[in-house]
Formats: sequence, C-alpha cells, structure tokens
Amino acid sequence: MTNVSHFKRDPGRGSRSGRGARVGRRRASGARRRASADNHATWIERRIPHFEVLDTEALELIEHNAETVLQEIGIEFREFPSALELWKSAGADVDGERVRFPRGLCRSLVEANAPREYTQHARNPQRSTIVGGERTVLAPAYGPPFVHDLDKGRRYATLEDFHNFVKLNYMAPGLHHSGGTVCEPVDLPVNKRHLDMVYSHIKYTDKPFMGSVTHPDRAEDTLAMAKLLFGEDFIAKKTVLTSLINANSPLTFDATMLGAATIYAENNQATIISPFLLAGAMSPVTVAGTLTQILAEALAGMAYIQLVRPSAPVVFGSFAAAVSMQSGAPTFGTPETSLVLYGAGQLARRLGVPFRSGGGLCAAKIPDAQAAYEAANTLQTSALAGVNFMLHTAGWLEGGLAMGYEKFIMDADQANMIALLLKGVDMSENGQALDALHEVGPGSHFLGAAHTLANFETAFYRSPVADNNSFEQWREDGSLDAARRANGIWKQMLREYEAPRLDPTIDEALVDFIKRRKSEFEDRDY
Amino acid sequence: MTTTETIQEEQDFELSELDDNELVEQMHEDLYDGLKEEIVEGASILLERKWSADKVLNEALVEGMRIVGIDFRDGILFVPEVLLAANAMKGGMEILRPLLSETGIKPIGKMVIGTVKGDIHDIGKNLVGMMLEGAGFEVFDIGINNSVEDYFEALEKHQPDILGMSALLTTTMPYMKVVIDEMVKQGIRDDYIVLVGGAPLNEEFGRAVGADAYCRDAAQAADVAPQMVRERRRGVAVNA
Repeated sequence: MTNVSHFKRDPGRGSRSGRGARVGRRRASGARRRASADNHATWIERRIPHFEVLDTEALELIEHNAETVLQEIGIEFREFPSALELWKSAGADVDGERVRFPRGLCRSLVEANAPREYTQHARNPQRSTIVGGERTVLAPAYGPPFVHDLDKGRRYATLEDFHNFVKLNYMAPGLHHSGGTVCEPVDLPVNKRHLDMVYSHIKYTDKPFMGSVTHPDRAEDTLAMAKLLFGEDFIAKKTVLTSLINANSPLTFDATMLGAATIYAENNQATIISPFLLAGAMSPVTVAGTLTQILAEALAGMAYIQLVRPSAPVVFGSFAAAVSMQSGAPTFGTPETSLVLYGAGQLARRLGVPFRSGGGLCAAKIPDAQAAYEAANTLQTSALAGVNFMLHTAGWLEGGLAMGYEKFIMDADQANMIALLLKGVDMSENGQALDALHEVGPGSHFLGAAHTLANFETAFYRSPVADNNSFEQWREDGSLDAARRANGIWKQMLREYEAPRLDPTIDEALVDFIKRRKSEFEDRDY
Repeated sequence: MTTTETIQEEQDFELSELDDNELVEQMHEDLYDGLKEEIVEGASILLERKWSADKVLNEALVEGMRIVGIDFRDGILFVPEVLLAANAMKGGMEILRPLLSETGIKPIGKMVIGTVKGDIHDIGKNLVGMMLEGAGFEVFDIGINNSVEDYFEALEKHQPDILGMSALLTTTMPYMKVVIDEMVKQGIRDDYIVLVGGAPLNEEFGRAVGADAYCRDAAQAADVAPQMVRERRRGVAVNA
C-alpha cells in the first residue's frame, strides 16, 4: 500500500544515498514499513497523565455555578416544541422557550444514562474506533467554506476539494476519523450537497465519518445511506455516525441542531454537543466564567439527548476561542483558551462522558509561522488535556474559514507526533537500554551499538515536513520552506491515491438513492 | 496621563456653563467615553441656544464619532468602548431626528437589517446595527431568520436607503441571492442599496448574489454605508 508512505519515508534524501547496497537496503526497509503501516492505529491509547489546571475546590465551584446558571437563568430550546414537552415531563420549569432545571437534573440524567465510551463502526471493521476513556481519536477540520493552497490561493471550496481532503485524510495514518464537512462544497445546491458529501466519506475512504446536521431531512438522508452501507439490522444496534451539534451560545439550542440531534439520538447514533464560544462575545471574558457556561450548555444538551433516548452515545464538546477586544475578530492558540480547554477536559472526566475539543486551530490566512505556532499550541494542549475526539486536527486556517492543503499536511505530521507523545515512556528492558550503556561505555558513541541497530528505525519520529539537512543540502533541494515541502507532499499523495474497495452492489444502491433523492425536489439554496 | 490631569477631568461641572466651543469639544470627549446622558443633554443645550439640528449633528456628533472611528481603526479604542460610543450617538440622534425631518434635511441614512432565513446567528448583525447607529443611521433591526416576505414587508414599511443581510452559515448565505432575485423580479432592486456580510462571504460572493457591496466587518460597514448613501443621492440628483 503506497498511500501512507509519505509519512514514513524521508523525502528529499535521495541525493544522499549513492551506494547500491544502501539503496537496496532502503528499498527493502521501505517495503517493510509500508506493509506495517497498512494496519495503522484506529485511535491513540493514552499512557501519560492528564494535564490539569483546576483543583477539586475550583472544579466543585464551577459545577455549582453551572447548576446555578441552569436553575436561575436556564437554556432556550428555540422553535422545537417536542424538546419543551420532554423537559416538562422530566420536571424542568418551562417558560415559553426558556427551560430552567432543578439543581442536579441534567447531571443525573447524563450520569445515569450516557455511556462512558462507545464504538463507532467503520465500513472497514479494522478502522472502527472507540470514543472515550483513555483514547484519543483524531479527525480533520470541519466546516470551512474556503480552501487555500499555495498555487491557487484562497477560493470557495468545491466538491472536488471535498473529495481531495477525504482522500488525503484517508492516506494520513495519524488521522483516525474521516470527519464530516471537511470543506463546504458551495458549488452544489444547499439542499442536496449533503448527499454528495456523505457519499464521498463512504466511497473515498473506509474510516468512520460524521453525518449531516444542517436539516433534519439531511440527517434522515445520512441515516438512509448508512443503512444501505451497513445494513438495516446492523445500524439498529450499532453506532456508525458521530455528528456535530453546536449550541447557539450563549445558552441557546436552535431548531436546526435540535432537529438533527433528535434524529440521530432516536437511532442510537452519537452526537457531540458542543458549546461554541468566542469568549468576550458569546461567553464571559474570564476562564472560570466561560467554563461555567460550557458546562451548563453541554449538560443541558447531553441531558436532552438522554431524554430522547436513554444511553444514546453523546460527547461533551467544547469549542472555545476568544475575540480580540480591539477588533472583535476571533483569536486562537492563546493561553487563556488553553486554560479553558484543560479545565473543560477535567469537567468532562468528572461527568464520565467522552470529551471533544481542540485541533490545529489558528487565525492565520496562510500556512505561515502564525499558523504553525497557534496550531501547535492548541494541538499540544488538546493532547495533554485528554481530548477523546479531536475535531479540526488537520487543515484549519483563518478561524475555520479556510481548509488549507499545505496546512493539512503540516497538521497531519503533528498528529503523528501526538500519538508518540501520548504513548509515554517505554520502560521495558529494551526501553531501559542498559545493554547499550554497557556496550558503549565511556567515550565512543552509540551510532553503531547493537541496541541502536535494533531500534533506530522507529526510535525517533521522522517528519516529512521538517527539513533537518545541512544548509547546503537544503539549498540544493531548492531552498524550500515547510509550506512548499507540504505542497509537494499533498500533490504526490493525490497522484498516488487508490480508493479502498467498495462492494459494487452497495455502491450502485447508494448512487441510485442519491439520484432518486435529487430528483424528488428542486434545487434550493436554503 | 498624569495624576493632576485625572483629578481635573474628574471635577464636576455643568455642561450648560460651557460656551459653545467648549461644549462641542466636551461632547466629542463624552462621545469618546460613551456617555449617553451627557450627549443627550449637550445636544439639548445646543438646540436651546438656537443651533440648527443639522449643525448639532455635524459639528458635535458626527465629528465626535469620526474621532472614535479613527481611534478604533488604530487599535486605541476597543470594541466594548466603541459600542458605548455608538449608543451615546444613538441617544443624541433620537433627539435630532424629528427636528431634522421637520426641516426637510435628509437624514444620514436609514437601514433595514436582519439575518437570512435559517440563520439565527446575530452577533455580527447586531454589531453592524450598533455601528451604523454610531454613524448616525436610523436602523430597523428585523432580527433573525428572515424570509423574502419579512424583508419585503420591512422595506415597504420603513423605506430605508439600505437593506443589510447577514449570514454565518454556508448553508444559509445563498438565501441572499433568493431575496435579491425577488427584488429584481418585482422591479424594486434599484430602489435600495443592498449590503451583505458574514464570516463565510467574500467580495466575489457579494457580486455573485447581486449585492452592491460586501462588508467584511462592522467598522467597514459603518464606513461604506454613509458613503454609498451620499453617492446614490448625488447620482439620483444628476439623473433627475
């Protein structure tokens, strides 16, 4: 399988391997690496502690304050009467569309019913994943209307871009999940594009994916397509979709999101309930105030899901950034939002549900130093914070307005590193390496030691994006910066892409379904 | 700022004790500080002194907000401060508006603004509304989730210079074209300036849906709107 080779092989080093024997050996080990990469991980198993910033007293205070918000201020469930009915019968106080909750009601609904973790099945069983516990599942960026690359700059995304990102994500071994709206194909009519998007996640990858949430009918279409893919019996019992339900912060859920969430929950499909906060505009400017609001909104949303269908899988989501008080523009990768992320992880673990946050977030317009710094800040924070489902891991530019081809490659490289970081320290006999120390002794060097020879291939992560060569070598290779190197990598990946096999009968059924649905109503732009 | 200056500034005085020039300068300061009551009082005093509403508007309020605009652009004033200033401006305008219309002076401008059907994300729209009020506009905010019919009803009722439409979602932004197409169909497109905005839009999109301009943020909208109204009025005058 060639599709993962770029993340395993040293690129641009060909000019240094002059001797025949060396080349032969390299080829052999390359083939071995490719073979072993075929069954790459479907999640990261965490073996290091969580990084925590709040002590028990602080956590209890935030939990208390969140209950106060739920009880005294309440949450609005807009234009969705069935939710209000459910809340009434659950004992909440419903005043118009405002729902106020007796202390502890939401928490007890979640604690008593929501699973601590769940399996999301992929069409390739080897790629099924588990969300929750000590695992981290990485998914690409979600939602950008624009794409960006070094050749063509910034432009509206098309279906072709969507296919490209699904393919690149399929080929990136560090990304376990295909995501959802990897970019918004704005060249297609609003009321039909979801069909092509879902099909793309089925056809061009075999990783698990997310469903459409922009209208209840589109959630139904996603389910119908999942039934054709997995079989009706299978999805009656199993979760095959994890879909993103944003709160309309502050303290509001809207009919679009509630509609989609309800359909997924009724069918036992997973939803990520995500307060979407740009602190300063949509939440208070302080870390503790923002955490309070996140907890209140997430609790209300997750508890609603449990009212719709007890034990339906649900994820505690958090998307928190801050707005610039000078301009109102969103900012990313700043220390305050890192503190929010660490705190939200703690709150989710105390509640006993999977946690979604993070990603390679940045406000940069192009894959430059700002993009790298800001993204690295959030990626590392998310990893250390104990995020279980990391949406927006790769590709994110410009506050989520653009999906970057080069940025995707740079972030996917970081994703691979996160896996190694979370794996922690190997304390086996081999890890202790006493035999290497015995063999080499004082002076000398370890480059030729038996222990080194036995371990060197996998000992250190080798980035395909970073250039560690001498200045002269770098110059001979074209004096490329990281973004330029990433530009070459994504193009080569797309050239080498091979689609995973899809049963032609299923494929045909899906294509027929899409054709039929598209013919059933007019193109509409809303 | 030195301590003595601070103390001097904090000393209480009556606005009515200031002469015209001092009062206008003080109103510039008060707009800058977002003091609505003081602006209302200052405007009333100038009117009592037989200033025309037009003169109060231009010399005291518009000039004051011009300074606010410059310092916002230069990163000296922050968003919450600008919103306070805009709110103070709105207070002054409420007094002046009836007088201006009595004397037949054209108002700076009127705008109907709302988010499009399916979209309830209104923070950006609210900011634009407040900034436009800060620029002296009369703003009719028709809220969220507006259909073609809602927009048309508001246009009919308020007869604004500008229709403003906003969307945060890629799935709702194309609805702007639905509204503009219907305006064309009914032959009323040219009666209004149409401004569009929202995070997923760009200039290309604004052109494609047939808007007169795409505004990238609230500050720019507040810059562009009065300009376009002036230009349109000139154009109409020339054409007439």
